[in-house]
Amino acid sequence: LLSHDPLEKKPPLCILVDSCEISSGAEVVSSLKAVHGVRVQVCSLSSCDYIVSNCMAVERRYLSELLNPVNRSKVTQRIQRLQSMFQRICVIVEKDRIKTGETSRFFQRTQYYDGVLSALVQAGVRILFSSCQEESAGLLKDLALVEQRKNAAIRVPTEVGAHKREVLSFYLSIPNLSYLAALNMCHSFGSVKKVANSSPRDIAAGAHVTLQKAEEIYRYLHYGFDVQMLPENLCAKGR
Amino acid sequence: PVTAGSIVVPFGHVIGNEKWRGSEIAQRLQGKIRLIFEDGLGLVDFHLSNRTCILYISEADLVAGDEFKRRLVQFRNASSLRGIVIVERTQISDQYFLAVQNLVVLELGMVLLPVANQGEASQLITQLVSSYVREQSKDHNSNPFIRKQCSQLAEPSVFRTVQQIPGVGKTKALLLLQHFGSIHRLCNASVEELELVVGQTVAQQVYRF
Repeated sequence: LLSHDPLEKKPPLCILVDSCEISSGAEVVSSLKAVHGVRVQVCSLSSCDYIVSNCMAVERRYLSELLNPVNRSKVTQRIQRLQSMFQRICVIVEKDRIKTGETSRFFQRTQYYDGVLSALVQAGVRILFSSCQEESAGLLKDLALVEQRKNAAIRVPTEVGAHKREVLSFYLSIPNLSYLAALNMCHSFGSVKKVANSSPRDIAAGAHVTLQKAEEIYRYLHYGFDVQMLPENLCAKGR
Repeated sequence: PVTAGSIVVPFGHVIGNEKWRGSEIAQRLQGKIRLIFEDGLGLVDFHLSNRTCILYISEADLVAGDEFKRRLVQFRNASSLRGIVIVERTQISDQYFLAVQNLVVLELGMVLLPVANQGEASQLITQLVSSYVREQSKDHNSNPFIRKQCSQLAEPSVFRTVQQIPGVGKTKALLLLQHFGSIHRLCNASVEELELVVGQTVAQQVYRF
């Protein structure tokens, strides 16, 4: 409980929330704001549920989704996409809500579930277990705190004006770039031209990404476009 | 004794601490994987591979107090092995779970996996071992969560990115890219150069952007 005290002097923690979570995780969001005093910014992240730092994305999944192989492709696609965008990924496995009328739900642990956990552990994905939405909110705050200690906290203003929004969507169209990296680029670089003329090292510093990721961005911006290589369906529409 | 050093685990085997001989976990594991018992594993309960081991925290450990915390911290300080902590989360020990999770995952940076009893633990260990076996046999496609490096053509993305510039649709994006070749060169184009490709208004828009 001691860890709550040093917070008072520092700027409030900031967590980005995907707009989908407003409906599916309303209590997580309200509890983050009300109980934990976290600055919550709702954006359309689309690729993940929460971003708690420059490096870390968090995915909230119900236990029932991981117990049942029916959701296999959905879950794996999400995680794979996150792996391509973020250095650190955490999955919060949340117990399903008991609907009114149900007294309790009994879940049989499946071999498939153990397999998913093993694969996640091996892929270096962090796993946390939560029994309700309020608890998930607490875990998100704790994760953001740990990331803050690692000097990776979200520091940029998360609101964007009209022009910035256009620039932001330009950056967001770069493959495998996270929303936060794009946001950082908006604020660190005066113009798109500046980014285009920056070295990988400067891009890494401005976007708060790894040098490897910055090199990827650099290569993309310098990529020699060849019309012949554009799939025909795109090309045809353009003409 | 605080031993938590590395140990050679034969392929597809698990090395168990002598104290687990005859336990429910051991009985259930035998027959599924090759389990060898050894003395003097110290803090570790099971070695799954040369780099990974398991520390088991029972319901009784949790209720008994902080001794298990000392053990985890000792392990973390003494060993470079990847430690997976398996904890018995039961109705009785549930109240301690959040604090344990906080310590293990957030403070110590280790992996924590809850089970209800030794039976579930043996199932989980079996899956963990088989995923290590698959990894060691270099079957990389087996783990769906490890990103596969696929080389995709960048053209469609570059095309899409240029269309994000205000005033630029598919037709103009194609013209601009055909003329300038890359986003970098497009960004450094002068208004005059842009005007040669697209109209005056759009040239201004692109340049200002």
